[in-house]
Amino acid sequence: MDVRTRLRDFKASIGPAWSELKFTLRRIRKSPLSIVGIVIVMVYVIIAISAPLLAPAVDPRDPYAIFHDGYGPIPRPPGSPVLDSYVIGRGWMAHYFGTAEGQLDIYYGCIWGTRTAFRIGVLVVVISLLIGLLTGCLSGFYGGIIDEILMRFTDVILAFPGLILAMALVIALPLSWSIDIGFLILVILILFAPILIGRFLKIGNIRAFMLSLLGLATFAILYGWVLGNPLIYPWTLNLTNLDKVLIALALVGWPSYARVIRGEILRVRQEDYIEASKAVGCSDFRIITRHVLPNSIYPIVIMASLDIGSIVLTAAALSFLGIGAPVGFADWGQMISFARNWIWAGIENPWKYWYTFTIPGLFIFIFVLGWNLLGDAFRDILDPTLRRK
Amino acid sequence: MGLAQFIIRRILLVIPTLLGVILLIFAVTQLFTPEQRATLYITSEKQMTDIESVIRQYHLRDPVFNQFVGWISQVLQGNLGFSKTGNGPVLDVMLRKLPATFELVVWSIPITVLLGIYLGVNSAVNRDRAADHVTRTISIIGWSLPSFWLGIMLIAIFYAGLGWFPPERMSIPTFNYVYLSGEWHHYTGLLTIDGLLNGQPWITVDALRHLVLPTITLVTIQIALIVRVMRSSMLEALGKGYITAAKAKGLSKGEIINKHARRNALIPTMTVAGLLTAGMLTGVIITETVFNIDGIGRWAAAAAGGGGTVPDVPAILGFSLFAGIVYIVANLVVDILYAYVDPRIRLV
Repeated sequence: MDVRTRLRDFKASIGPAWSELKFTLRRIRKSPLSIVGIVIVMVYVIIAISAPLLAPAVDPRDPYAIFHDGYGPIPRPPGSPVLDSYVIGRGWMAHYFGTAEGQLDIYYGCIWGTRTAFRIGVLVVVISLLIGLLTGCLSGFYGGIIDEILMRFTDVILAFPGLILAMALVIALPLSWSIDIGFLILVILILFAPILIGRFLKIGNIRAFMLSLLGLATFAILYGWVLGNPLIYPWTLNLTNLDKVLIALALVGWPSYARVIRGEILRVRQEDYIEASKAVGCSDFRIITRHVLPNSIYPIVIMASLDIGSIVLTAAALSFLGIGAPVGFADWGQMISFARNWIWAGIENPWKYWYTFTIPGLFIFIFVLGWNLLGDAFRDILDPTLRRK
Repeated sequence: MGLAQFIIRRILLVIPTLLGVILLIFAVTQLFTPEQRATLYITSEKQMTDIESVIRQYHLRDPVFNQFVGWISQVLQGNLGFSKTGNGPVLDVMLRKLPATFELVVWSIPITVLLGIYLGVNSAVNRDRAADHVTRTISIIGWSLPSFWLGIMLIAIFYAGLGWFPPERMSIPTFNYVYLSGEWHHYTGLLTIDGLLNGQPWITVDALRHLVLPTITLVTIQIALIVRVMRSSMLEALGKGYITAAKAKGLSKGEIINKHARRNALIPTMTVAGLLTAGMLTGVIITETVFNIDGIGRWAAAAAGGGGTVPDVPAILGFSLFAGIVYIVANLVVDILYAYVDPRIRLV
C-alpha cells in the first residue's frame, strides 16, 4: 500500500469525526454566549498560570499567603503606596486594588485566589466524577441488589441540601485524621463479598443479602463484645483546612454523578452493539470502558462544567461562613467575609470602602458566570439529541 | 391504583430514606471526639461542666454498635443535645427561631415560582427573540451570583446608600411593641400576618420593608432553576400535536398558550419545586447571616464557627437532620401533588 492510498484511507476514517468537529465549531461561532463563556474561562486560566508574574510572591515558600503591609485595621483605597520596606524590597510599590482589614493586599489575594478556585473546582469535580463513575457503573451495569443498595445510599446524601451537609462534614473532619482502614475494608468486604460470590454460585440476591447482614451481625458481636474494639490497620492522615473543604464537597457531590451515569448506562445497555460485544465475548470491563462510557459521556461533561461554577460558589460560601480557607489564605470567599464589616463602617458614605467587597465579589461572579455560560452552551452544542435542532 | 393507595405507597417509600438520613448523621457523629459527641446528649447548661459523666452514661467510648442504640433513643425522645450558640436545647432553639425563617421562605417561594413560570413561558413563546435572550441572560447571571455578595451589594445600595429598605427582621419601635409592650399576641409567629391580626398594620408594613432585600436575594439566586425548566418544557409542549390541533381550530394565541400549552408544561416544573426547597434551606443560611435576621439559618451559620471558636456540634447536626427531613417531606408533597394533577403518574 503506498502512502497516497493510506492517506486517503486515513482521511476517510476520520472524515465523520472531522465534519462533526467542524459542525461543532460552527455552532460555537454562532452562539455569542458560548464565546463569552470560553473567553472568560480562558482569561482566568491565563491569570492562574501567570500568577507568579502578575503577583510575585512576597513569601516564596508560601505564595498562597496574602502579604501584609503592616497590620493596621482600616482598609486603604486602590493605588495606596506600600509602606512595609520588606514588601517594597520584593518589588511591590502600590496596592492596585487597595487593602482589606489587616492590610491584606486585595490584588494579590484575587490573583492567587484564582488558583485556589481552579484547584477547588477541578479537584472536587474530578474526585466526585471518579467516585460517581465507579458507583454509577457498578450500579447500572450489574443492577439488582448492588444497584438497590448504592442508589438508596445516593438518595440519602441527596436528601441533604449540599451546603448544609458540606458544612457538617467540614466541621466533623479533624485536621489530623486517624482512621482504621482495616476496619473499614473489613466491613465493606463483609457487606459485598456474599453478593459478589453469590453471582457466581447463583444463590440469589436476596439470600446473598441476608448472608451479608448475618455476616455483619456476627462481625459486630465478635468485634465489639468478644474482641473489645481492637484497631486493625490504623492510618493517620494530616489535612489542611482547604483539604477538608475539598473532601467535604467531593463527598457531597458524587451522588448526582453516580445517578446520571447509572441512567446513561441503563439507556445504553439496551442497545444492540452491547449485545453484540457480549456475544463476541468482551469482558465486562472492556464493554464498560470501550462501548458504554464513550456513548454516555456528553451529559457528564456538561454536568461537570456547570458544576465547577457551583462548587466554587459553595466553597466561597463556606469561606464566607468562616469554615473554609484559613485567614490570610488567598481565597475569594474569605476576602468578602472580612469585608463584611466595612459596609457599615462608612455610614456617612457607604461606598467609602467599596473595593473591599466589590472586587473579590466580581472575581467570583465572573468566574462562575464563565463556567455557567460554557456549560449552558455545551448543553446545546454537544448533546447529540439537541445539537441538530 | 387510586390516589389513596399511591399516597400510602409513597409514604412507605420515605421510611428507608429517613432511616438512611438518620444513619448518615450518626456516621458523622462518629468523626467527633467522645467529648464533642457528649454535647449531643446534654439537656441543660449544668451538665456542660461534667462531660465525663455524660460520656460514661451514654457509653460514648464503646463500639459504634452500642452507641447507636443510645443515640437513636435520645433522638426519638426529641433530645438533640444542647446548643451553646442558641443557649438552649437544640429542639427548643430551632422552634424559637423557625418563624423568622419561615416568614422569609413563605414570601420567597411563591414569588420565585410565579415569576419563574411567567418568565419561562414568555421566554419559550418568544424563542430566540429579544425577550428570550434577556430572560436567559438575566437568569444565568442570577444563578452565577454569590448569594452573600448579592446581599452585601443590596445592603450597600438600598440601605446604606438610599436608605429605603433596612436589614434585620424589624426596627426598634416594632421590637419594643412586640417584645416589651405586653400588648402583642403571637398568633402565627409571622410578623406580617400577626401585625394585621393584632390590629397594628404599621408592624406589617415595617416587617415587609425588612423582607424586601432578603427576598430579592433569595429569588434572584433561585429563579434560574424554574425559568430554565419552564422554558424547555414549554418549548416541548408547544411542539405537540394538540397545539397544532388547537391552532387549526382557530383558537387565539393567548388561549393556546394559557389553556393548552402552559398547563401541560407546568408538570415538570413542579418536580423542581422540590429542589427549590433545598435551595431555600441553603439560601437562608447565607441570607440570614448577611441581613442579620435571627432565624435558624443564621443560627446554623454561627454554630458552624463563624466566630472561630469551637463549633457547636449539636446545632449543626440538629439543623442537618431538620434540613434532611424538610427536603424529604417537600419531595413527598410534590410527588403527591404531581399524582393528583396528572393521573398518568398513578398508573405506574
